[in-house]
Formats: sequence, structure tokens, C-alpha cells
Amino acid sequence: MTMESTKAAEARIRARDRALSLLNNITAYVAFAAVAGVGIFGTVSALTIPGASASSSAGATASAATSTSSDSSSSSSATSGLSSSSGSVSSSSSSAVAVSGGS
Amino acid sequence: MSDIVLWYTTRGAGAVSMILLSAVVILGLLSSLRFQSSGWPRFLTPALHRNLALMTLVFLALHIVTAVVDPFTHLGWLTAVVPFSSYYRTFWLGLGTIAFELLLAIVVTSLLRGLVGQAAWRAIHWLAYASWPVAVIHGFGTGTDALSGWFMVVSIICVGSVAIAIVYRILQPSRDPLTSARSEFRSGVSRKPDQ
Repeated sequence: MTMESTKAAEARIRARDRALSLLNNITAYVAFAAVAGVGIFGTVSALTIPGASASSSAGATASAATSTSSDSSSSSSATSGLSSSSGSVSSSSSSAVAVSGGS
Repeated sequence: MSDIVLWYTTRGAGAVSMILLSAVVILGLLSSLRFQSSGWPRFLTPALHRNLALMTLVFLALHIVTAVVDPFTHLGWLTAVVPFSSYYRTFWLGLGTIAFELLLAIVVTSLLRGLVGQAAWRAIHWLAYASWPVAVIHGFGTGTDALSGWFMVVSIICVGSVAIAIVYRILQPSRDPLTSARSEFRSGVSRKPDQ
């Protein structure tokens, strides 16, 4: 084997080693990104879950109903769905107590 | 592990699996074109294609296992094996089962390529063109996030990328240096001896 062919073979071997190293790096990066992607997409789907806005609007409705009810009859109907905090609602007009009980 | 974590892991792993499967399809198309460039030898494309296909199976397994063991869904293991056996969204979940089993057949025959033979491997590998759209339709039909903005963006990117790769594959001529030699050989073999 001549000197030129030996150098050419060594260059091909080095090029192949570099390519295999690149393959390993890309695979590792993609695996890391995929694991991170599961967490990111899971979090995003949790934040954008269908019905999340509906439940929050329901809570706001309950709050509004409690805070705007001034007479005793409407107040008792509003607290019927919030049984755990009905006592504090009757003694306070703040909407925050009713919301925390509703949730 | 709480039901909530399992449920969100199912959805996250499903989205990641769709992205990985799309990348696998694109790399497969580039492999058939014998794509290469400076700094990117030809063998890298099929090697990365194989690695990502195996990785897709891992995340698909995560997607399926977390969905099945979630006590809230009560899907059961039969749903993961037998298509259209689920009580919940029977058709759409059945498509997911079919897509998974097609992909499993492709990967297993690729790993056992020496045993099944080149012709059988190539025939089964064409199932990839069925597995990917079935999986995407499964995501649109079953997915809780199908109408979410982020899932729409991910789906459009995946579908668009694969569509571009398919068009590129169709428009590009074959780069097989033995194309003419193979066709001459085939015509010679098919020719009758008395001709």
C-alpha cells in the first residue's frame, strides 16, 4: 500500500468517526428534547385544557351572585351550593370567601 | 402517581410521538433519495432514521402505558392490542391501535431484515405511508387537545413538513447509480428464451 492510499484511508476513517459522533450527538439531543417536550406539551395542555375557562367563569358567577345578593332570601339560595362556607358568607359580604368555598 | 400526571403525560407523549414519527417519515424519504452533502455522509440519514424510529416506539409506549394505567380512563390493555375494542371513542382509538401495530411491524421486520428478506421488508416498509396518516387522524379524532391552538400548530408543521418531503421525493429523479443496469437486467430476465 502506498503512502497516498494510506493517507486517504485514514482520512476516510476520520470522516466516518466524525459522522458517527455527529449521529450520536443528534440522537442524544433529540432524545433530550423529546423528554423535555413531553413535559412542555403536558404543561401546555394542562394550561389550555378545555373547560378550564368554563369552571373559572362559573366561579366568577357564584362570586357575583353572592356579592350582589343583599336580601336574606337570595343569600340563602346562593349559599346552598357552598355549604362548607355558608356561615362565613352570611356574616361577611366579601366575595373572596364565597369563591374560596365554591372551589 | 396521580391521575392528573398520567393524563397529561399521555397527551404530551402523544404529541411528541407524532413529531418524532413525522421526522422518521421525512428521514425515510430522504434515505430513499440517497441524500448527502458536505459534512453529512449518506449513511447518516438511514442511521438517524433508524434511531428516531426506535425512539418513537419508546415514546409511543409511554403514550399507551400512561393511557392504559390511568385509573380514570379505564381503557384496559385489550384496547392497546385489539383495534376498535375500546368503549371510549371506539373508532378514533382503534386508529391509534392500528397505527401503533403497523409501526411495530415495520420496526420488527427492520430489525429482522436478514431473516425476512429484502422483498418482504420493502413491502412491509411501505406500511409506513399508511401508519403516519392513520396516527395523525387518530390525534385529531381522539386528542383532547385536537382543537387547541398549540396542537393545531404542531399538527400543521408535521403535516406540512411531510407533504413537502413527499413532493420533493416525487419530483426528484432516482439517484440509484444502478437504475439503468437493474432495468436492463429485469427486462433481460423477463424476456422469453425464444425471442
